Amino acid sequence: MVKPNFTRREFLGTTAVAGAGLLLASCSPNQPKAPGAKSTLSQLNIALIGCGAEGQVLLESLLVIEGIRLVAIVDIWDYNRDSNVRRLKSQGIEVKSYENYEDLLAHEKDLQAVIVATPDFWHAPITNACLQAGLHVYCEKMMSNTIEGARSMVQTMRATGKLLQIGHQRRSNPRYMFALNRLVNDAKICGRLTAANGQWNRAVSEDFGWPKKFALSAEMLAKYGYKDMHQFRNWRWFKALGGGPLSDLGAHQIDIFNWWFGMAPTSVMASGGVDYYKNHEWYDHAMVIYEYPLPTGTVRAFYEVLTTTSAGGGYSEMFMGDEGTIKMSENPSITKLYREDRAPAWDELVAKNYLRASAVAAASTEADKVDVRETAPLLQYDIPVSFAKKIHQPHLENFFNAIRDQKVKLNCPADEAFASEYVIHKANEAIAARKTIEITAAETKA
Amino acid sequence: MNTFLPKLTVALLLTTAVALAEDKVPLKIELPKPLKVGTPVPIKIPNLEPTLKGARPAFLVPVGTTNLAAGKTVTASDDTIMGTLDLLTDGDKAGDEGSWIELPPGKQWVQIDLAKESDLCGVLVWHYHSQERAYYDVVVQVANDPKFEKDVTTIFNADANNELGLGAGKDLPYIETYQGKLIDTGSVKARYIRLYSKGNTTTRMNHYIEVEVFGKPAA
Repeated sequence: MVKPNFTRREFLGTTAVAGAGLLLASCSPNQPKAPGAKSTLSQLNIALIGCGAEGQVLLESLLVIEGIRLVAIVDIWDYNRDSNVRRLKSQGIEVKSYENYEDLLAHEKDLQAVIVATPDFWHAPITNACLQAGLHVYCEKMMSNTIEGARSMVQTMRATGKLLQIGHQRRSNPRYMFALNRLVNDAKICGRLTAANGQWNRAVSEDFGWPKKFALSAEMLAKYGYKDMHQFRNWRWFKALGGGPLSDLGAHQIDIFNWWFGMAPTSVMASGGVDYYKNHEWYDHAMVIYEYPLPTGTVRAFYEVLTTTSAGGGYSEMFMGDEGTIKMSENPSITKLYREDRAPAWDELVAKNYLRASAVAAASTEADKVDVRETAPLLQYDIPVSFAKKIHQPHLENFFNAIRDQKVKLNCPADEAFASEYVIHKANEAIAARKTIEITAAETKA
Repeated sequence: MNTFLPKLTVALLLTTAVALAEDKVPLKIELPKPLKVGTPVPIKIPNLEPTLKGARPAFLVPVGTTNLAAGKTVTASDDTIMGTLDLLTDGDKAGDEGSWIELPPGKQWVQIDLAKESDLCGVLVWHYHSQERAYYDVVVQVANDPKFEKDVTTIFNADANNELGLGAGKDLPYIETYQGKLIDTGSVKARYIRLYSKGNTTTRMNHYIEVEVFGKPAA
């Protein structure tokens, strides 16, 4: 069996190559049961700040990573905080809990890193304080609900010399890394890139509620910047707290545009609106076009996020060239490659196990044809790279590995993430301004 | 050739079929509103049942069938991490915070006491539907013995590898949706219903939002 030719970094996150039999099961929880053990490079003491839905997703990954000792969790909502303490205890893990990051920093003096998964508008103050306290920080995207907040995080990272990884976890996904490095860059499988297309469509969903007996008091809500419980539970829809669907869902995918093109766009035009949900401030849908002047020619990248329909085939990013198209998604079943007839044969790539031929697209029948100029269906291929880990785990592992070994580089340091987040903010700006906004390279640097 | 007997047989069958059809009516199900939270997690589990597309086909039940579990007492194999057991039978099927219970990792069960032996025809269960996920080793049993030590009938078993020690099953694991999982119990009498699981494709925990048990108290 010929195995794909991985770089070390790609391989670190990969546990399975189709047919290669490299599956490794996730580890059992390895958390030491006794709290208070001294933090070392082999056992990093960490804390989780923000135990809501995203914090719990990260927690699931944290608990299966070797050499990590979760010593404390932080959440302003006792409902989240106490239930997570019980949840961890049921797995034999004792942690301390705090209402806010200031209490955490005041009491926990043997931490090496924190994971920040609070609402966006708290990211900058918490991250800056933790970096200044000498801690490495993994902060969920978006970096901040404002460009100024995101910039301050990069500046604090530089000033303190501490690591700041932003949670664009696809950048550590072995399948994405393999596809970019081996297929797009080395094999030039798309030929000349001419367009990109990303989307994340979701069906209509109710606003989040809360158990009434666990509602926060008006004083607590005001203390932490919320008008009421509805705003607290649905912060992503409010302009002072989050960035709406473009930052909630689009941030991951627009970051992939920048990462794969190796640059930030030079312009953005966009449309969107609050047309469906009457109690939201942020746009319920957005359609965005970025321009990337690559050395091989300009690429236009279209991005769509809809929160009123799930039609359109899930969430994906498609990179389209004159010889082939690669469709990426965190969901491996959506990932596909399409070969144009004019492309050189891909047999060698198949032989090297870089690709796997998918079912051949059926030829159109006479009845199917609506126009003789219609292009025949393209041949489809799969990428034979999968991994038996939770989707955030490789990105967290990259962060912890970088803490332990200076030779390991972060896959999404804050200064690189800033460029992506800047152009996402600009897309929201373009919608409001109803005009094309030019973006200079200098602007995208913090 | 005497054609009287076959004609009589057909007539009898038709009469019986009409009578049966008249005795059964489509089950009325009140569904919660769909809710989706957070990043979808790819589900890697073999032999996954195809997700229900559109509305569920009508499920015929005897006239007079009701949800016997409504408001009934629930017990469990362990203390809950979140929520109280009465949430399982309180009629609230919303996927949101405060509507579900969480039990610790590993093999766990919940049990509903229908208060008296009943003629059962279906069970509808919502584990957790605000995120696409599948629960491992879902097994549903009914019995008249509260300890489930004798005369136990298994009505659903998706534990293909006998992880729970209740015997290997051939039912398929499935993705949770707001429509819940409807299990046809066939015709069975029981007072107690017990539902097992062993974690899910997203977390190691076990969850329940609501369990409805359809039938009529035994005559």
